[in-house]
Amino acid sequence: MIPDWMNATEAGPYQGAASLAKKKGFAKKTVDGVLAFFQESLISETFAKRKGLLQSLDPRVKLISMLVLIVGVTLMRSPWVLLIIYLLTLGLAYFSKIEVLWFVKRVWVFIPIFAGVIVIPMLFNVFLAGNVLVPIATLGNGSHLGPIALPSSIYITQQGTTYVVTFILRVAACVSLAILLFLTTQRDLLFKSLRTLQVPKVYVLTINMCYRYIFLLLDTIADLFTARRSRQIVSLPLREEQKWVGGRVGYMLVKSLDMSDKVHQAMISRGFDGDVKLMHVNVMRHRDYAAIVTVLACCVILGLISQSLISI
Amino acid sequence: MPDGYLGPNTYIPLWLIMIPIWYYAGRWLKTNLRTKQVPYLALAAAFSFVIMMFNVPIPGGSTGHAVGSALVAIILGPWAAVVTTSVALLIQCLLFGDGGITTFGANCFNMAVVIPFVGYYAYAFIAGKTKITERRRIIGAGVGGWLGLTVAAACAGFEMGIQPILNSSATGVPLYMPYGLNVTVPAMVFGHAFFFSIIEAVVTAAAFAYIARNDPSIIWNYKAIESASKPRVTAAPA
Repeated sequence: MIPDWMNATEAGPYQGAASLAKKKGFAKKTVDGVLAFFQESLISETFAKRKGLLQSLDPRVKLISMLVLIVGVTLMRSPWVLLIIYLLTLGLAYFSKIEVLWFVKRVWVFIPIFAGVIVIPMLFNVFLAGNVLVPIATLGNGSHLGPIALPSSIYITQQGTTYVVTFILRVAACVSLAILLFLTTQRDLLFKSLRTLQVPKVYVLTINMCYRYIFLLLDTIADLFTARRSRQIVSLPLREEQKWVGGRVGYMLVKSLDMSDKVHQAMISRGFDGDVKLMHVNVMRHRDYAAIVTVLACCVILGLISQSLISI
Repeated sequence: MPDGYLGPNTYIPLWLIMIPIWYYAGRWLKTNLRTKQVPYLALAAAFSFVIMMFNVPIPGGSTGHAVGSALVAIILGPWAAVVTTSVALLIQCLLFGDGGITTFGANCFNMAVVIPFVGYYAYAFIAGKTKITERRRIIGAGVGGWLGLTVAAACAGFEMGIQPILNSSATGVPLYMPYGLNVTVPAMVFGHAFFFSIIEAVVTAAAFAYIARNDPSIIWNYKAIESASKPRVTAAPA
């Protein structure tokens, strides 16, 4: 019997004791990156096992629903519709027993924030003309910034603000939906549900096997870099260190292919003849039908609103 | 590229371009690998995924990452690289939310097709008929890595740069990526050519040199390279 405290996992980025050091070398960064990856994967797996709303749905229904919603979101033009969808993802996270604050952090760091930084200049009339929303500065006629001619006054535009909010919300809603899908679905079931999209069985098995071996290879990488750190007193010249990392990349590829030979022999010795069989039979229940019909109906309605074919 | 950067009139054609490429790559691998196909691709795809975890030291005390698609194309062949990089990207977007689902076709086109094919053919052109451990071949691998990533960056810049042309409202407000080709292509090409692609070149060349020295038999066309690099023996006159 495993005690509760051993089952408990703390959500959040990995905080190794030595990671408090001011400057990390490439070896330390790699080891920390691998450990952070392990921790995040472990946390994601624990969410998939909770008894929440999305966890109770058939993985095929979830996959199709999320894909339809993500495609639908990319078609939306109204920031209000996108905001409703984003808030809906927060509701789904809550009812799927995912800590909402953690979910928000997981979504916004790094993709939507980066997207926001990219499009921030579009707020200003220098990049996108529009009506004045917030005046910034009056420069007078004939102002230049290097070779670029500037308008006589700089201000934040209504059109620019609407565009930036729409763009960021669209990215955030898509990332939220994708994250909800994998947080609430067990890995092997998610991969098998790809069959619904006519992905060949051989690739479903390949993806499943690949996912499992990622952890083994990462463990080996962490060992390689830890071994180097424990034997290194001073840094080598940059060229030597780059050569060492490149060599370890080559070594990992050799090791991966060597391992694939052994796995292949093990599969053959157990009767594998190239014919891929996938176990686990999914059964659709009433709630699954209800979920897929609801999602499709929502998408159609939101699409019609967004294209101004119906109004609310 | 995450979801929301490209409009449907860009991401749908890129999906449609990728479907026959995946189909042909699958046929090629099935013919060449037979029952070994699943474990070989699974482990190679796992490698394609984890290569991004290697931190490479760069001047100034910072670090960077490599993509590794050109290396996989040189060692396993460009068609194997199409599948392994696509599987790694699928796991990344389905299980970690990195990279988009609608833009998966575009990301695969840039990273699983452009990098492997440009990288491999640049390497093959420079390497010519040299021996497997020859310096020219190692330089070829480095140039392949550099060129593959730079051309892929230009493709990504092009896909983003055509958004204001293809997707703008009646009043001229962009709907997806707002910057035109005159901004996106130079930004992506210069950003990569002078930074990320250099890291890619260093890792590809160093990893290739390691494999060529220690275990060249894993290179998919090793026998062809060996036979091409042997000096031709001509019959002595009687």
